[in-house]
Amino acid sequence: MNSPVPVMIPMDLWDEEGEGVIATWLCKTGERVDEGAALAEVMYEKASMEIAAPASGRLLILIEAEAPVHRGQLIARIEA
Amino acid sequence: MSVTKRRLTIAKAMSEAIAAAMDKDPSVLVLGEDIGRLGGVFGTTQGLLDRFGADRVRDTPISETAFIGAAVGLAASGMRPIVELMFVDFFGVCMDAIYNLAAKQSYFSGGRVPCPMVLMTSVGGGYGDAGQHSQCLYATFAHLPGLKVVMPSNSHDAKGLMLSAIADPNPVVFMFHKALQGMGWLGTVPGSIVHVPVEDYTVPIGRAQVAKPGQDITLVGVGITVHYALEAANSLAAEGIDAEVLDLRTIAPLDRDAIAASVRKTRRLIVVDDDYTSFGLSAEVMASAVECSVDWLSTPSRLAYPDVPVPFSPALEHPLLPSASKICERVRSLLRRRAA
Amino acid sequence: MPPSLEVRLWMYTNMVKSRRYEEAIKLAYLEGKRPLFNMAKGPIPGEMHLSSGQEPCAVGVCAHLRAEDAVTATHRPHHIAIAKGVDLNGMTAEIFGKRDGLSGGRGGHMHLFDPTVNFCCSGIVAQGMGPAVGAGLAAKLRARDGVAVSFIGEGAANQGAFHESLNLAAVWNVPVIFVIEDNAWGISVAKESSTAISRNSERAAAYGMAGWFVPDNDADEIYAVAGAAVERARSGHGPSLIEIQTSRLEGHFMGDAEGYRPKGEVQALWARDPIVSYRQRLVESGVDDARLGRIEREQQVAVDAAFAFARASNYPEPQSALQTVFA
Repeated sequence: MNSPVPVMIPMDLWDEEGEGVIATWLCKTGERVDEGAALAEVMYEKASMEIAAPASGRLLILIEAEAPVHRGQLIARIEA
Repeated sequence: MSVTKRRLTIAKAMSEAIAAAMDKDPSVLVLGEDIGRLGGVFGTTQGLLDRFGADRVRDTPISETAFIGAAVGLAASGMRPIVELMFVDFFGVCMDAIYNLAAKQSYFSGGRVPCPMVLMTSVGGGYGDAGQHSQCLYATFAHLPGLKVVMPSNSHDAKGLMLSAIADPNPVVFMFHKALQGMGWLGTVPGSIVHVPVEDYTVPIGRAQVAKPGQDITLVGVGITVHYALEAANSLAAEGIDAEVLDLRTIAPLDRDAIAASVRKTRRLIVVDDDYTSFGLSAEVMASAVECSVDWLSTPSRLAYPDVPVPFSPALEHPLLPSASKICERVRSLLRRRAA
Repeated sequence: MPPSLEVRLWMYTNMVKSRRYEEAIKLAYLEGKRPLFNMAKGPIPGEMHLSSGQEPCAVGVCAHLRAEDAVTATHRPHHIAIAKGVDLNGMTAEIFGKRDGLSGGRGGHMHLFDPTVNFCCSGIVAQGMGPAVGAGLAAKLRARDGVAVSFIGEGAANQGAFHESLNLAAVWNVPVIFVIEDNAWGISVAKESSTAISRNSERAAAYGMAGWFVPDNDADEIYAVAGAAVERARSGHGPSLIEIQTSRLEGHFMGDAEGYRPKGEVQALWARDPIVSYRQRLVESGVDDARLGRIEREQQVAVDAAFAFARASNYPEPQSALQTVFA
């Protein structure tokens, strides 16, 4: 399987409509990451949540830290 | 064999270390304010209550003298308590338990009653928390015999130092700098978030580390000042100045051998300290350096926080803090002069 | 016996002023902190502890106090400062870290000092209690009938200084009143998990002083109890402890996700907003709605003016940070 795996803010990461924000990227673009590894910390309404890598591969960050995000948004890709 | 990075914040690394120790040793327990359900105001105990239960992860009343005293008693009874003092600035209400009891238990008992206790506490300012919530106080604790004092500059060292601290039969004050912690609601220096191995490992207490080797000048830092020094070294490299950055990692016992080795090589020294200038860490590092035989190229120097209470207004506080640019300026002026 | 209309209107005015103030602080505090809440950013950095919901405690007590009566307060001070008559412009400029602040920007929101009305506050739990004992003792030694008041939270009742201060005040028969604003939460820890007994007012007996418990965050009841306590102190009968059951409508500090609070608790508290119910009581007792509306508008104007003053004020020069370390 060669097509890149999307990294998205899960639809159920928080309850209401509303924007969260990427607080910190724990990995950099170009780095190899393992499936399940913590990629980023996202904050919604002052609570902090982790986004884990859905697959192993090379990370490509699409949305930078401190940018607002909504549920379901694509924030990165992992290329095998 | 995976070569991928597993980056953790210092908060995560600390809680991971504590969990690993609690898993292996039923005598390890954690006490403190808001360390249970909340996982610690600074994230140091996240996940522990769910995993180990309320007997071993205990939220306390606002009673530092009592619960830190209790930690001393737990340690004397053969348990290994980890206790959180939420802000180092709160030490005023409970210092007797720390410096007169914990620190002297082994000594007064001739080594028969050790005090295997970890006191973890947040330090540092720069974000507007004013005079009673922004202090560093490294020397306040390091000055007192019987206490070990450590402070990691990154998450790798945080996990290793925490595991060392828990295993140490002596009281270890584990300081964590708020600007390095990785909390979403407080800015974090990115350099503090590094790869942390999954397995258990230790970073030895009492051993500094060269964070960046160099020939022209030694910059000594601990915690956040290591990052200022690294940033300065980076800028200076472009000017052809090769600075060595020494990360103390442990404040007490001070790694005087590492300081000596570095300054004998570079023959120039700047200590960078975000604690109050006088009677403190910077003076101790300078005194230790001066006590070795070094053929100095310039007089040892320090960049530290002035002797004033931390003011609230950023217009007042920020100009007082050490910074990479202040370090660069000082380095340039030292290199322009010659030793007498 | 309910307080006079004049007192009630004074209390209502100051409760409204406090609430408008906290609302304005909240908005100003959140500036620069979106989308990412970084405590260091914006015109008001650092921590912020709002007093919304606790206004009755401040007005019920301070209605009995003179300028020369000393008050010490905590990290959650704004409602008390306002009720004590602290200079609103200076206080607001201080919170914004400006040169025209009460201490030129050195103290900020947790360290507000106004010696003209003998008000100060500081951030370490329970540590304002000893100074209140001292202020009370000074009044006694000067043979004046002044009193001192120490405002604390219920978490402070478990701190060593609480017990020492109560005992010392009683041993020396000091004219000091200790007021516990019990909002049931010490950051994330509920009172029942941290406190061995359910009524801190009962601890008064352990220290040989009068103790009162006031349920329901009711300004008139607080006024009545505080009046008795102040009268005791002024007439040489020494210290008292008052415990008031109040409500914390916001988080411990701004930025607090409050995940530890049971679902629905905060909404239920807002539904019993003490200012709304007090207004209702005033209307039912015959006060003209239009008059109350005038008070509300005036207080909004006063708050707006203080904020305008603060924003227009300059930042202090960096070298002023080195001054006033010593007098």
